[in-house]
Amino acid sequence: MVLAALNLAPSAMKNARLAAGVFMLALVCGCASLFPQTAKLRDGLPDSLPPRVELKEVPFFAQTEYQCGPAALATVLAASGERVTPGDLVSQVYIPERKGSLQVEMLAAARRHGRISYLLAPRFDDLLRELAAGNPVIVLQNLGIRDGWHYAVAVGYDYDEAEIILRSGDKERETMHFWTHEFVWMRSGYWAMVAMPPDRIPATADESRWLAAVSALERTGDARTARTAYETFLRRWPSNVNAAVGLANTQHTLGNLTAAERVLRDAEERDPKSVIVLNNLAQTLSDQGRDGEALPVIERAVALGGPFAASVQETRNGILKKLGR
Amino acid sequence: MSVWAKVISRLLIALMIWTPYQIATAGMIGTDQVATSSAQADRTTVLNFMNRSDVTGKLQSFGVDPSTAKDRVAAMTDDEVQSLAGRINAMPAGGDVSTAGVILIIILIAAAVWWFWQR
Repeated sequence: MVLAALNLAPSAMKNARLAAGVFMLALVCGCASLFPQTAKLRDGLPDSLPPRVELKEVPFFAQTEYQCGPAALATVLAASGERVTPGDLVSQVYIPERKGSLQVEMLAAARRHGRISYLLAPRFDDLLRELAAGNPVIVLQNLGIRDGWHYAVAVGYDYDEAEIILRSGDKERETMHFWTHEFVWMRSGYWAMVAMPPDRIPATADESRWLAAVSALERTGDARTARTAYETFLRRWPSNVNAAVGLANTQHTLGNLTAAERVLRDAEERDPKSVIVLNNLAQTLSDQGRDGEALPVIERAVALGGPFAASVQETRNGILKKLGR
Repeated sequence: MSVWAKVISRLLIALMIWTPYQIATAGMIGTDQVATSSAQADRTTVLNFMNRSDVTGKLQSFGVDPSTAKDRVAAMTDDEVQSLAGRINAMPAGGDVSTAGVILIIILIAAAVWWFWQR
């Protein structure tokens, strides 16, 4: 569409104003559908975003051959205070025979450094929001005709100039027009991620997706970091029972049984029919040698049934055994 | 195969499935299980194990050191592993920058932008 329009442009403009008008209309419609998100941004910035943002303090690591994955990841990790260089990350994300790094591994490797990886919603708005909140964003672009996949780190934007500011490849400060950026970025399905320290939440975080991100950290990272992340989560969304279960589990893992019990009792008050809360509470009581108190709690969980019945039964058997029945 | 060899290999398989990826402490229902139902748990566990060894094997065949590959896969969630299993060849791997393509595209876009943004 754009190609054809460009070829026709000079003669059409010479012929008549009307032709030019019709042509421009077609071009505008064409561009708007080719670059839908930039077209929408043209109507105005989302509320309360500043017109200009640049995270100048974000460090720069020049990419060595093909290794933009390690470089981009090191950039965001170092920006959040982790002492790491691209060289340290090569063995964690780089695939020699593919001469590149997979998206999933970028997410997973950030967790190995105690950061919570969060995939942004595929929206230009959200990219700008994260930048305005001070979070550098890794974006996956396709700069080639077919297979030129490339990670860059967005560190700012200038709305009036319609430019996005990137750390990219061997360029410490690359500016890219919104249109160009959308064109190379949309080819990855607008893939973008942030890597947050456990005491912070991304500006665009969605409650359930953020909980899944924290739980992924709990699964692979250390329990202390995960505990901080759950505490931070619960300050924002205090009524989320699943997050309370997560916090209690990390406390339990760290051996803080009374703290785990306190969290679970709070959760039980809010959701007395949660089989998981009851099971874990009973187990926590039993681990403190209070099997007499644990038994009525686990009996309530047994009565509720549901998909965790087998685990609940196991917990009950353990408690009965310790009680000598 | 003798009876003992059979028993031992079964035991080893069971251990391989359970040891590296089990995080919840005994008796506690893990946070990552909250969303999944336990009716599917056994099937999912076996599937996850196969997916993980598939992805680990693929990474090794792409030149990643075997023990490193295992650590890398261990850092992934079940969903992430599943998204890669059997599809790793088709997934984009960011790294390459083919300059010729870039220049062509940038010229095209710059021209389009110049036309449109000036109006």
